[in-house]
Amino acid sequence: METTRRKFLGLLGGAAAAGGLGTPRAHAQAGPIKIGVLPIKAGVGALPGEYGLRGTLWATERINAAGGILGRKIELLVEEESSPKDTVERFRKLALQNKVDVIVGVISTGVGLAIGPVAEELKMLWLSWDGTTQKGVEESMPKPKYSFRSVDNEAEAVMSSILTAKYFKGKFKTVAGLNPDYSYGRDNWAAFLAIMKKYKLGVTPVADLWPKLGTTDFTSHVAALQQAKPDLIFSSLWAADVSIFLKQAHAVGLTANTKLVFPVAGLVHETLKKAFTPEGMILGYNSMYFDMPKPSPLLQQFTKDHQEKYKEWPSYESDHAYFVIAAYKAAVEKAAKASGGKWPSTDQIIQALEGVEVESLSGTRRYREDHIMEANFYQGITTHKNKYDFVTIDPLEVMSTKQIQKPSGMGLYEWIESWKV
Amino acid sequence: MLGGVFHAATLFLVAAGLQLVFGVQRIVNLACGSFYALGAYFGFSVVTWALKGGMPQPLLLVALILGGLLLAAIGLVVERLLRFIYDRDESFQMLLTFALVLIFEDVIRFFWGTAPYQLGNLYLVYGRLQVGGLTIPVYNLLVIAAAAGIAVLMGWFLARTRAGRIVRATAENRAMSEALGVDMRRVYARVFTIGTALGTVGGALVVPATAAMHEMGIDLIVEAFAVVVIGGLGSMRGAFVGALTVGVLKAVAIATYPEIEMLAIYVIVIAVLVLRPAGLFGRATA
Repeated sequence: METTRRKFLGLLGGAAAAGGLGTPRAHAQAGPIKIGVLPIKAGVGALPGEYGLRGTLWATERINAAGGILGRKIELLVEEESSPKDTVERFRKLALQNKVDVIVGVISTGVGLAIGPVAEELKMLWLSWDGTTQKGVEESMPKPKYSFRSVDNEAEAVMSSILTAKYFKGKFKTVAGLNPDYSYGRDNWAAFLAIMKKYKLGVTPVADLWPKLGTTDFTSHVAALQQAKPDLIFSSLWAADVSIFLKQAHAVGLTANTKLVFPVAGLVHETLKKAFTPEGMILGYNSMYFDMPKPSPLLQQFTKDHQEKYKEWPSYESDHAYFVIAAYKAAVEKAAKASGGKWPSTDQIIQALEGVEVESLSGTRRYREDHIMEANFYQGITTHKNKYDFVTIDPLEVMSTKQIQKPSGMGLYEWIESWKV
Repeated sequence: MLGGVFHAATLFLVAAGLQLVFGVQRIVNLACGSFYALGAYFGFSVVTWALKGGMPQPLLLVALILGGLLLAAIGLVVERLLRFIYDRDESFQMLLTFALVLIFEDVIRFFWGTAPYQLGNLYLVYGRLQVGGLTIPVYNLLVIAAAAGIAVLMGWFLARTRAGRIVRATAENRAMSEALGVDMRRVYARVFTIGTALGTVGGALVVPATAAMHEMGIDLIVEAFAVVVIGGLGSMRGAFVGALTVGVLKAVAIATYPEIEMLAIYVIVIAVLVLRPAGLFGRATA
């Protein structure tokens, strides 16, 4: 029989494995820990993708400088999150070909929904950064074992809605929505309206606009809003589109007398220049605010390093990314301690991840037992009184996901309905 | 309404570039969207640099147009590349120009990174106009005027100048004009560069009002194609009317029934395709 190329390679591989490297497992434990990373690199999502990657790099550099995890250095294998299909392919490649220990990343809910079942199928531990809309959690991934998900995407809209009631109660009657036209934008607007109803604020929606994600020209939307004359605009835009809208709205005088609620625009906080971003709007920074009045030493260091390296003030996706690496390290160390110092199995790491609590850039964060993150959220009222050319927030409001995220096993609206206000 | 016209103005410039290149060279240039995005980034850089060098702010518009024209030089390079496929099947041309779209996206990432750029509040440097309770930024009017000016200029160039007549003759019958001694290479290089300039200037002009970001090119290509279908492939007047139709329709849809913003445009596109397949101003080809 002829020896084909494939067989020959197989023989080679077998010989190498048998020839003194010991069992593959022992080999794997001695080398670096391989972590696969899936950040978005193109399109609108490249922005949070880049911040996520920066958080990952920073966490890895620190851990490696301090000797790694149980003495093993971390090696990052960076691939790319793009369409669900292509990302699943890369996920498989990382798992099967590169044999990584854990995969971190993924921001889009759509991609996350596709990855979830694959992670289970390959028994591949996956710690997601973001992308957790209601459908993603409730319907498609009821009880995952290998996937660890982010905070609910609506948590920030829930917090902004509560703050709207707190700061603007009695000062507005009509509202307009300007939300990106996909599940995230739709869910946020629905949550906002539900909470307005719950607080019995008696508001009437006069316009709901759905610009495509990444819209670059809002002149038509601004004109429509001028016509509708809402007292308050709720908008979960989060990319470059925020500043474009605010600039165009400011240019026609729309921002002067309208209350603005932007739960997640803090992602692009540096683009919100004072020249066109008003004071007095509600602005959310998700789970990390770079300009804390009393920052933790960790946040202070990160902000400083980030500013020096990238000439930018950091944004929240870095915190999600930092947290998953820190949580992985803590879980491995915890599980190893329980098993006498040996490198733990994936199952043991998963067990240790459930309920793990670590310090992240945003303060203490943890994974719930149902694999959902818990964190603090930072929002507040915009001010021009700072040293930057863009707005910051003062007063600063901090809320835990214990207050603004539905508890395990409950539907979002069912939960909102159960509030006592 | 006016918001729609502003959008239509930039859309017209890009679609006009697409039309000109197709009309003469028979190339469906998907990269016209990339020229638009590149123009935006380059315009941003030129203005930032010029302001640092002491340019007074009101010269903003001049700097942007000059920046756009300067960048159009890349049209010469791209045209050189396209020479390999003039005689190939249209699908090859589409593939190549689409490859250019992807390449230019990476070029932008290489030089400018992933973060969007914007010119702060320069947008309002020309002030605002109060018209019957409505506030209009003067810059919007200037862009609309500039686009209209370019439309007139293009019309004059094509109809009245010798170079324009040669371009039209080439569009009409390539073999005959070649036989009459027209240097096809020069005409093609010139036409493609003008087509590029329409895109880059368009991109540069919108920066103050919006921002320079990656995906702006791809988005615009799709709309530019709707414009071209409505107006008729290869027709300048078609680009003008098509851009106005799409821009205004979009604005009206957003103001009245936002759910149909995209739908409305494509209903018109389908109607045109069914009733007048060559477009409003296109000529039916045998």
